[in-house]
Amino acid sequence: MQSIGVDRRSISGFRGRDVSSAWKHVDIVLLVATGLVLLFGLVMVYSATRRFPGGTGILLRQGLFVVVGIAAMFGVSLIDYRRIADWWQIIYGVAMLVLAGVLSPLGSLGAFGTKGWYAFGPVVFQPVEIAKLATVLAVASYLGSVDRVDLRRLGTALVLLVIPMGLTMLQPDLGSALVFIVVGLGMLVVGGVRLRHLSLLVILGVVAVFGILQSSALDQYQKDRLTAFANPDGVSAKARYNIDQAQTAISSGGLTGYGLGKGPSTRLGYVPAQQTDFIFTVAGEEFGFVGSGLLLILFAIMIWRIWRAAQLAADSMGTLLCIGVMSMFLFHIFENVGMNLGIMPVTGIPLPLVSQGGSAVVASCIALGLVQSVHMHRYA
Amino acid sequence: MDTDSTHVRLSAIGIVAVSLFLALFMRLWFLQGIDRQAFEAASVSNRVRVIHEEGPRGRILDRNGKILVDSETSIVVSLDREPLRKMEEPERNAVFVSLADTLQQLGVPTKLSLIEKRYADLRYAPQEYVPIADDVDPSVEIYLMERADRYPGIIVERKAIRSYPYGNLAAHLLGYVGEINEKELVERGGQLPGSENGSTTAPTTTAPTTTAPTTTAPTTTAPTSTADSSSGATTTTLPNSAGADSGTRLTDYRLGDSIGKGGVERSYEADLRAVPGERTIEVNAKGDLVDVLSLKSPVVGDDIWLTIDIDLQAHAERLLAAKIQDLRGRRDKDNNRLNAPQGSVVIEDPQNGQILAMASYPDYDPSVTVNGISQEQWEAFNDPNSGLPLVNWALQGTYAPGSTFKLYTALAGYNSGYLRNGTEVVNDPGVYTIENCKGEKCEVRNAGSTPHGTVNMASALTVSSDVYFYKLADKFWNLTDQYGETPIQDAAAQFGLGSKTGVPLSGENPGRLPTPASRKAAFEARPDLFMTGDWRSGDNINTSIGQGDVLATPLQLANSYATFANGGTRYQPQIVTKVTRPRDLTLPANDPANYKLIREVQPVIQGTIQIQPDQYAKIYDGLLGVTQSAFGTASASWQASKTAWPMAGKTGTAQVSKKADSSLFAAWGPAGTGEPARYAISVVIPESGFGGEVAAPLAFRIMAPLSFGTLLPACPSADQSACEAAADAASVASGNDVTSGSAD
Repeated sequence: MQSIGVDRRSISGFRGRDVSSAWKHVDIVLLVATGLVLLFGLVMVYSATRRFPGGTGILLRQGLFVVVGIAAMFGVSLIDYRRIADWWQIIYGVAMLVLAGVLSPLGSLGAFGTKGWYAFGPVVFQPVEIAKLATVLAVASYLGSVDRVDLRRLGTALVLLVIPMGLTMLQPDLGSALVFIVVGLGMLVVGGVRLRHLSLLVILGVVAVFGILQSSALDQYQKDRLTAFANPDGVSAKARYNIDQAQTAISSGGLTGYGLGKGPSTRLGYVPAQQTDFIFTVAGEEFGFVGSGLLLILFAIMIWRIWRAAQLAADSMGTLLCIGVMSMFLFHIFENVGMNLGIMPVTGIPLPLVSQGGSAVVASCIALGLVQSVHMHRYA
Repeated sequence: MDTDSTHVRLSAIGIVAVSLFLALFMRLWFLQGIDRQAFEAASVSNRVRVIHEEGPRGRILDRNGKILVDSETSIVVSLDREPLRKMEEPERNAVFVSLADTLQQLGVPTKLSLIEKRYADLRYAPQEYVPIADDVDPSVEIYLMERADRYPGIIVERKAIRSYPYGNLAAHLLGYVGEINEKELVERGGQLPGSENGSTTAPTTTAPTTTAPTTTAPTTTAPTSTADSSSGATTTTLPNSAGADSGTRLTDYRLGDSIGKGGVERSYEADLRAVPGERTIEVNAKGDLVDVLSLKSPVVGDDIWLTIDIDLQAHAERLLAAKIQDLRGRRDKDNNRLNAPQGSVVIEDPQNGQILAMASYPDYDPSVTVNGISQEQWEAFNDPNSGLPLVNWALQGTYAPGSTFKLYTALAGYNSGYLRNGTEVVNDPGVYTIENCKGEKCEVRNAGSTPHGTVNMASALTVSSDVYFYKLADKFWNLTDQYGETPIQDAAAQFGLGSKTGVPLSGENPGRLPTPASRKAAFEARPDLFMTGDWRSGDNINTSIGQGDVLATPLQLANSYATFANGGTRYQPQIVTKVTRPRDLTLPANDPANYKLIREVQPVIQGTIQIQPDQYAKIYDGLLGVTQSAFGTASASWQASKTAWPMAGKTGTAQVSKKADSSLFAAWGPAGTGEPARYAISVVIPESGFGGEVAAPLAFRIMAPLSFGTLLPACPSADQSACEAAADAASVASGNDVTSGSAD
């Protein structure tokens, strides 16, 4: 494999704001995969919510968000990511303020007494989705602009990661907090942090996770949900219910599934949160191994193309940006599908581009827009 | 930034990504490709509930098709606990209080505590309705249904219950129906809802395993309308000619189902029980009904035709009850009180063993059982002072048979070869001295020490000479090397004594036929209870006249005389002639066009008795003389109420220490006319006096109208008093005064 960049940027011979030239370098494969997953997601949301009171409204809203997300994706992709990175401190700062604000009386109480939303009338906004992006942008911009990651810079990068993570923990939203760890880890690995430092960080992280599980920082229900997958007999029936129903639904789909709208668990609403965190059960039950496997393949293609964009990126900032987005997507997909399949703990992590929820869809689209930007502007 | 390092690290991340996707694919394949079956079953049991529905039992008819036990609809107020569970507790309590109050005002006293107890009763499956008040007036149904919104979770169901058009008649024979208990349920392979395994596997096994049930109705409603559920409980199909699936009848029981607890209801449960129906419903995550996947209506049970003629049964029961009530309070010659605590009459067809009437006194009202016997009622039934009305004394009561036993001893005399030509005579001075006897109790006497002079077999039976049989028994015991130890018992056993007749009714007592071996075994088991384990001459002598340890049931007595009457064929007593499947329950049950024959019950021969014709004739003549000779012990009673044809039989007066004698009579007719015998009868009333004075007169009064064909129809309980008054008038007119004292 050839090495990335610097030379080829000079070879291309021009830089500038010619939009049409950037268009030539759009990653069609990633774009098509993204479109297909979004479409798949809308079908799943339709099936999951069609028997709900106001189900049509949920679907229309989701469709609207998809349109907004696609528009945002194209918009962001057309801007050179380096121009966006110039603003990283402001973007990060605002995102952190908004994330912190959700803990104030302005934020709305969500399920299980967590505070993670802003509600403006009918519009609900989840700031952590934007905070993830802002953090990826900040870490990529910061580490991408330095030659060598020494301890001091590592420390700064860690601070950039720990702030949103801490704020998310306070909601508390454990799953999203984990996203920051995984995203940070991915970016630090690729960002050139020395292996010794990384190993130390991993050890510290493991100790911290066990510490949290042992401490009283988490409520029992959270611990139950987290450990249910590892110790199926030792948890309450309530914690098991989600896992059991999800696996039952997916497994009974078999090879080809019951067909759209015919999955009994979906139809009768046996899986809680089947339109959001457990939407993969709908795919599994109604489309079987063929359909849900296809969804996983589409996701794998996306991950592969993001990874490729990271490799092809013009500079390490672009590489890091793509790796951040890739880590985020990879963790979301693995954690979400994994908990649906009963091999990962239950956390409130949506399936990117598929789960019903506006903030997540739009944020995911913007993230992919950034990747496209890195890809499209690699010669600019 | 070191590009090599970046490249390596990017590759590492790529490998991680590939691994994670591989893990997801492997798990997905495990669930959907390998482990699918198990999860699919779980998916079905999640959403599919099978609701079990019992149907109405078949009817019990008499031999002429008169309905003795019918099924009628009872309106039951029940709880549907699904919606109630979703309520807040105060709201639910308010519904209960209001329900209890309303039922009270509508004349159905219902305690609030009962409603709360039933609501919490874990023995009912969660989807099952729990009964609160049975057999309520239709006005209650209308009231509650009109105000369904005020009584959420209150269901008015229609259930099939038993009804008894003839009231107490033949109650023992018919038996009754009650809620299945846990033991009976387990015996039939049923699942107790309490057991963990049962509750999870039961729906899976019965639920259809086909995938994707077709649902066409897009609008789904929760089962809030009471009309829907009550109609579901009442729809029953009549079996068509294709035949009902009776295979599940004997196994598909649930707690709360009805089951025959005694009598014919119990013995013929397999025919009477309706094939249960099933409603397979789909419920959503909240437990609301979404769709009815399949509906199998219960199929009404088959009808049972008894051998009983209800008119004869009514007649026998009436006369028996009147006789016993008349006897009570009187005293015999020795000043023993005539308590007559119970009595039985059995009438059997000697040609096939069919029981035509089986009366047992005291009786009970079976209608108290239809909604479950209350604890108080159960205790009253089982209180010894009540006379134990649930006991069918005709087959559960055992009595010393007294002189009725002489029939068997006579057979022993011939079968053993001791008596050769039947003309052997004995001088009967009224007392017999046991041979080779030393001591005080060497003399045994006739009743009242009456001397009968020279008697042979026939006359000894006619006049009931004990001495004749004493001598026979004494000889047997002295010549055991020649005749064995038990010639008398062997002959009695040939008539069916000492073993159950095999009548298909539960609780039959085998009676007792003591032998030297059984005496020895009893002594060895409990040496404290017996003076000796040895069998002596005196024991043989006692046995020969049906005293000592001999015990027989009235049914055994009737069956043994029927056996003799037909020439020696011992039938198993039958109580059912046939099983039919009704075509239309609203049309007359006895119209052959209106039912399909399922099976006919054929006579079962239990054994045959070999006896030479001349010897048979000697015994026959002796027993005929009992009624027809002027010296016969039942001569006066026969004269008092003659039957259309002569009867032959034997009286028995069994002595019971410190009590009045048991009065017995066993007979058959027509006798001595050359026609085959049509009826055999036994009458047993303990603590009542001489057989010739109590049992025999009663037997003839029962037989007379039967023999003349002037039996009055039985009285349905609906118009009982008028009907019985007419019957009394009729019997007075025909000289069969029910309440007159003994005719001797």
